[in-house]
Amino acid sequence: MNPLPIILGMAAVTYASRLTGLWLRTRVPPFWERFLRFVPIAVFAALVVPALPGERGEAGVRLLAAALAAAASWRFRKLWLGITVGMAAYWGLR
Amino acid sequence: MSRPPFLHDFLRGFRAVIPLWLGVVPFALAYVVTARGAGLGVLDIQLMSALVFAGGAQFSAVGLFAAGASGLEIVLTTLLINARHVLYGLSLSQRLPLLPGEKWVAAHFLTDEAYGVVLAESQPSFAYLLGAELSIFAPWNLFTLGGALIGQGLKDPERLGVDFVFPLAFLVLLVPMLRGKVEVAVAVLSGGLAFGLSRVLPGGMALLIAGVVGSLVGAALSAERPASGTPTPSEAT
Repeated sequence: MNPLPIILGMAAVTYASRLTGLWLRTRVPPFWERFLRFVPIAVFAALVVPALPGERGEAGVRLLAAALAAAASWRFRKLWLGITVGMAAYWGLR
Repeated sequence: MSRPPFLHDFLRGFRAVIPLWLGVVPFALAYVVTARGAGLGVLDIQLMSALVFAGGAQFSAVGLFAAGASGLEIVLTTLLINARHVLYGLSLSQRLPLLPGEKWVAAHFLTDEAYGVVLAESQPSFAYLLGAELSIFAPWNLFTLGGALIGQGLKDPERLGVDFVFPLAFLVLLVPMLRGKVEVAVAVLSGGLAFGLSRVLPGGMALLIAGVVGSLVGAALSAERPASGTPTPSEAT
């Protein structure tokens, strides 16, 4: 699959989203405003859960490392720290 | 001799975002690692950073490339994830009047971070906005390029377990957003739905359905609550 047309399509819909908001003078209906606010939560969760166990029989180790990373992220709210804790736990345990 | 006001405001905006580079750099490297794992070349990795310039959407796109999703699924997922930029633009244009030409330029570089920084500024201007925007664009593109070039020397990233970076990064982005019961319920529902659907549907479809259903349920469940002000900008693009 040639990725270039897909990348151009991604760029087009992203630029359109950004430009639309800057040009519109109307307000989004409250329901759809709340919908847009929940999209990152729903999409990120949908990206994480199926990919967490992995495909090499390391599900237990990966889930434990993920739990530690989640705890660090909740406590300190730093992206780099959460990833570091998670990868360190994963490399230490596997 | 006074400094030209444009440059002064531009630099002020640029500096305001610098502390966030700490979040941008590891995210850029994680994106590159995942993109290489999905079989994308240096040019594609870099074009996506320059033309799409949206970390979350780029990251999920390369995850979908790896899962063998169709182009349509990848573009629709990108649209879904980036539709929140409509809100940022609406909110920004009410606070900061822009000339038509400025809108065309500002739109390409708009991110969660730039939006958050401009909202927090008492005297924003187009120059300030552009400075904040390019302060994410520059490190994001430099580090995806650097990572893509250096990463070619790595023999087998799979054996290092770098495929774990992908779910890990999104988990770390997700956790701070779970501030209330509805947020947790949406995450559990979407995650569970995606897990179940990914067994029977292509990865892109499962993600789209779980994302739309979860957001609809969240919007319905939070109906009674008053609007909670401005969206909190996440730490990474």
